Amino acid sequence: MNIFIYDSFLNQKKYDRLLARIETRITDLGLNGKISRSSLMRNIGETVKNELKRGAKTIIAVGNNKTISQIIGLLVGSSVPLAIIPIGEENNDIARGLGIESVDQACDILSARLLARLDLGLANQNYFLSDATIENQGTVVDMSDNYTIEATKTGLIHVLNLANAKIKLPPKVKILPDDGVLELVISAQSKKNLFSKSARGDQSIFKIKKVIINNPKAQLILDGSISMPTPATITVVKQGLNVIVGKSRNF
Amino acid sequence: MFNKQAQGGTSSEFETVIGPSVKVKGDFNAQGNIIVEGMVEGSLKTAGSLEVGEKAKVTANVEAREAKIGGEIRGNIKIKGFLEITAAAKIFGDIEAAFISIERGATFNGKCAMPTGVEDIKKINKDKAN
Repeated sequence: MNIFIYDSFLNQKKYDRLLARIETRITDLGLNGKISRSSLMRNIGETVKNELKRGAKTIIAVGNNKTISQIIGLLVGSSVPLAIIPIGEENNDIARGLGIESVDQACDILSARLLARLDLGLANQNYFLSDATIENQGTVVDMSDNYTIEATKTGLIHVLNLANAKIKLPPKVKILPDDGVLELVISAQSKKNLFSKSARGDQSIFKIKKVIINNPKAQLILDGSISMPTPATITVVKQGLNVIVGKSRNF
Repeated sequence: MFNKQAQGGTSSEFETVIGPSVKVKGDFNAQGNIIVEGMVEGSLKTAGSLEVGEKAKVTANVEAREAKIGGEIRGNIKIKGFLEITAAAKIFGDIEAAFISIERGATFNGKCAMPTGVEDIKKINKDKAN
């Protein structure tokens, strides 16, 4: 059975019409299943766990990156795929990276059921599908290898699994979420670049399988949604998640 | 340098970019192509191509399949294929490469060896001894 997990923010009245439209479209496509609305009293994790036990065929995250972040850890290693119906423009980079731009397109993609087995990043015990980000000021990056990296200007450090439109990279750098490696991107903030069209003026890119990030004064943000303290050991879980993707995905 | 057909490369994608605001310390080994625009201290090895930008400062022994050097390198350079040294380059160390091009204006203080030439000289010396 298809399990539609509605994030708690969709309990607001302003989403009623949009949700009704989605439900109509889902019914038209013959994809109906069970709708599970999360709330303060009913968290997404527990719901997904229960539905997987009951034999869910597909888990559909209806919401944003945060909704996805709460689900992916429970689907690691499972054959049950994750599908996404993105609601709103903000904090939906993951859906866009997977080629899912709109609600209508998401329904069609769910119907087409094009599956891809994607890597996941793992920061201590927390999984991420897109990126882990932290300020580089005061951050120590230990490559668990024979070398260390020091950033001499302030900026951000991203560990990327899935290409993110907000982080512009040189065209010759390809980010593939199924290659078993992550990309460590250090972007320096420069006054000269503030009004520049290209944000890749001062970037460093390293392909990694493991990195330890530590900054006692800053939090590591996973998929733009979940904050966690450091030190964090980040590794890659190769092709650990089955995902329904769109044809226009960026990999 | 990164022309696939001319140099027989297999990929024009970069695995590693060391930007101007980053300093790498230690033994850096890679398989793919590398661009260095920042600082490297230690050693730098890749099975792919290496490009050292004009503002880069590398204090390391360098090994690569092919390389284009525009910045400062203090250390020995060993290139299997073609080494291109541009006008802005400053090299303080020995060079070993199969093919070399040095642009007018470049600074180079060190010895230069081309493996095929060395082998030929050894053969000539052996013949003379016999």
